[in-house]
Amino acid sequence: MNDPSLHTLILPELPFDKREILRYAQIPKNAPVPESLPLDICLGEVSGKIRCRAVWARFPLSASGSELDLGFSFVSSRNLAHRLEGCCDIVLFACTAGYEMDRMIGRASLRSPVNGLLMHAIGAERVEGACDELCRILGGLFPEYRLTERFSPGYGDLPLELQRDVLRALDSEKTVGITLTDSLLMQPAKSVTAIIGLKEKKHEVDG
Amino acid sequence: MKLTDKLRTGPFFLDGGMGTLLQARGLRPGEAPETWNLTHPEDITAIHLSYYEAGSDMVLANTFGVHPLRYDPETCSDMVRAAFACAREARRLAGERERFIALDIGPCGQLLKPFGTLDFEDAVSAFAQIVRYGVREGADCVFIETMNDSYETKAALLAVKENSSLPVLVSNAYGEDGKLLTGTDPEAMVAMLEGMGADAVGINCSYGPDIMAPIVKRYLETASVPVLMKPNAGLPQQKEGRTVYSVGPQDFADTVTALIPEGLRILGGCCGTTPDYIRALRSGAEGQVPPTLEEKHDTVVSSRSHSVHLGDVPVMIGERINPTGKKRFRRALAEGDIGYVLSEGISQEERGAQILDVNVGAPGIDEAEMLTKVVQELQTVTDLPLQLDSADPRALDSALRIYNGKAMINSVNGTRASMDAVFPLVRKYGGVLVALTLDENGIPETPEGRLEIAERILREAERQGISRKDIVFDPLTMTVSADPKAARITLDALKMIRERTRCATVLGVSNVSFGLPSREIIGSVFLAEALKTGLSAAIMNPKSDAMLGAFFSHLALHGMDVNCEGYIRYASLRTYAGSDASAPILSTVPAESGKGLRYAVEKGLLQEASRAAKEALASGEDGLELIQNEIIPALDEVGKGFEKKTLFLPQLMMSAEAADAAFTEIKAAMQNRTESGRRCSLVIATVKGDIHDIGKNIVRLLLENYGFDVLDLGKDVAPERILEAVEQLHAPICALSALMTTTVPAMEETITLVHEKAPWCKVMVGGAVLTQEYADRIGADGYARDAMAAVRLAEKLCP
Repeated sequence: MNDPSLHTLILPELPFDKREILRYAQIPKNAPVPESLPLDICLGEVSGKIRCRAVWARFPLSASGSELDLGFSFVSSRNLAHRLEGCCDIVLFACTAGYEMDRMIGRASLRSPVNGLLMHAIGAERVEGACDELCRILGGLFPEYRLTERFSPGYGDLPLELQRDVLRALDSEKTVGITLTDSLLMQPAKSVTAIIGLKEKKHEVDG
Repeated sequence: MKLTDKLRTGPFFLDGGMGTLLQARGLRPGEAPETWNLTHPEDITAIHLSYYEAGSDMVLANTFGVHPLRYDPETCSDMVRAAFACAREARRLAGERERFIALDIGPCGQLLKPFGTLDFEDAVSAFAQIVRYGVREGADCVFIETMNDSYETKAALLAVKENSSLPVLVSNAYGEDGKLLTGTDPEAMVAMLEGMGADAVGINCSYGPDIMAPIVKRYLETASVPVLMKPNAGLPQQKEGRTVYSVGPQDFADTVTALIPEGLRILGGCCGTTPDYIRALRSGAEGQVPPTLEEKHDTVVSSRSHSVHLGDVPVMIGERINPTGKKRFRRALAEGDIGYVLSEGISQEERGAQILDVNVGAPGIDEAEMLTKVVQELQTVTDLPLQLDSADPRALDSALRIYNGKAMINSVNGTRASMDAVFPLVRKYGGVLVALTLDENGIPETPEGRLEIAERILREAERQGISRKDIVFDPLTMTVSADPKAARITLDALKMIRERTRCATVLGVSNVSFGLPSREIIGSVFLAEALKTGLSAAIMNPKSDAMLGAFFSHLALHGMDVNCEGYIRYASLRTYAGSDASAPILSTVPAESGKGLRYAVEKGLLQEASRAAKEALASGEDGLELIQNEIIPALDEVGKGFEKKTLFLPQLMMSAEAADAAFTEIKAAMQNRTESGRRCSLVIATVKGDIHDIGKNIVRLLLENYGFDVLDLGKDVAPERILEAVEQLHAPICALSALMTTTVPAMEETITLVHEKAPWCKVMVGGAVLTQEYADRIGADGYARDAMAAVRLAEKLCP
């Protein structure tokens, strides 16, 4: 049965940000790009094949110091509390480049390690880019709020163990196909979960 | 009238949503509907009754959420018992005409391996438990629904088939892109489910009828069994704290019943639908009769993602995953080097293969175990359907069982023993069967003789309930050097069989040239002739330029290659790889010659490195000296650049790959010499629970470059397995990788075990979360910050 508080969407395929991909492949911003790097081959394989899926839901937030009631779980985190200061609600989301991306990484790695490295980098760029896009969309859906930057389990002092509750709250297996291993790794590998705070804009003006 | 007959006639009416109605009766959000079987049986009964009264021919017992992975066996059993008690009571109250009750099976809530963590066989046994409870309660059929993973669907269907003789309807939940969450399209789904003997197939949930209609149409075009449709009442919306759906009963019924003339025969509703929707369906279908159900005759194999048709347009089956006559391949099998086998698969796919033949039979190999493992792993990296190639029915059985899709099976022949062993496998798991035209008396020397065997196999197959569309005949390619008429007979037999049986055909073409020089030339001409004679599929070498050329030319010349796209793609592969079609496709930069091996390795130019090494060796240079004077200095230069941060990881890796290509040439040239370059053996692995292997792969590559004899155990490797390898090789070094803090304990456990049981072995560690301090704390003998550091460390640890 569909839960109406969970919103799923398939994000559009975004143009590739090559510089960003190279950064994930550990080539710094201003370094020259070796001409024999098989990046275009990898991009050719991915092009048109990867559509990121996302699921999000809104939860009420209440905080007392670093003790947070996120609406789907309780957690203690100074870093997250700081990020969410002044927020009334949160948006929780999960976004994934899907199994197809994992398969492409597996295939490229078999071809050669550098192909694998590049494909990993492309996967990271795909899902991070999709998260940015999702946040833009959310910004449009909540015009009366300012959205904080996203914060993920495992960042700072926010425990990775929260991932279990996050994925459960988003019914992630069914909605976007993300599962968690016993060692708290998300599958598919190129998946992101995060919390965004919603801050009422008029409060900002007041305060 | 039997239920299956009713389904085949149609229209047949299912029920609508259960959850929506339970919520109206007070089911709280988050409360499991199946618990109400025990706590509120009268409500469940009332809902079933309301559907029967609205015109449902069958209701689904409230067992959707009952699953052994969620409840203990006793609770499962009680819930199913109570669910059926409610449904039976409703049926009694409804009286009059014949009505049915289905055992409802939903997804288990966990994803199966390789994407998730649930083992396929565990899923099968969990579903089996529910099926047995349903049988006990006298279910009229089983309804598997809302499945969004083809593999889980297979597990559920297999459980039904192995634990009951009930009719079974299978319904999947598609995304708006027309695919399951795991990427399967409707045609692939139909192929697999029909092959396994589903009595009806179709779709439910996800969306309203308008979005689902195009998917249902694709089902209607491909399925030979009745098709069902059970959409949601549109999309859910929150209104004043209540959930409402966007499509009302009349619009819902209009869209669904409009599909009856196209062949839709089983109708119902999913989330958000109520008895009003079923009533509207009933009245909308009034007087409508679906056209008679027609058997489709297409020969189709499928993978996790898509299907491939064998018929008029020839299909290329890659033959390279086969140890026969290949030393390197046999070694890979013996060492369990699955990576090598997989890359053989990928490279064939890149050259245009549409199906991959998989043969892993070799002395000393447990074929059933190996075939199963290779099939499982191949399906994680390629979407091509596979042709399981084995003479051992046990191997076929275990591989077919875990195959995700409808496989091609190679092969059966006209002997009684073969047919008796293989036909039951096709009946159980589905599949397209390659039938060789030979029998107890051998291979007939006339086309007529081979046709006769083909017809005999066909009769026996149909007698055993296997459809003729699932048989593909192989009239057998014989060696032309042994018998001048051999090729002619094969081609004549091919023509006859194609014309008389109308079945698809397949040939392993390579055999024709056995024993002759320039095999490719004669082989490719034979292929062209066979294709012209009507061959449906060629088992061939996609790495042979001449064979590929013949294949794609045939398609282009016979109007089967729109805009010559296939041919042009093939031609562009040739440009990348020069004329050497067997070279790996690794870079778009064409090989430029003349700058020497050292330059090529430094710049990471793979083909150039390979060519330069070849040329140097041909001109009489010594292999070891090439390594000493060209490759090692180049690698050192790049390594230093990396350490100084003037070069970066991809360059380091590309140089290593180029060096690797040169090594391969040198090794081939030095084959007869003793392996004096071997320095020390090393076992490498990503630890248990961790599935990241990129860092480990980089380290392995560099270590191999620097002369270490590396055994790579892969990722997610148990401590015991690592110890076993260390002991077997008496390896002085073991390298472990972990990326997550959560998997460092597994690393520590491995170190402790190795130190205790194999005290001669030094353990070095690396990975994103590790530091020198952390490494010391868990007892490692060394820590490497990056791949170059790992090489330096290994050199130090090497005795």
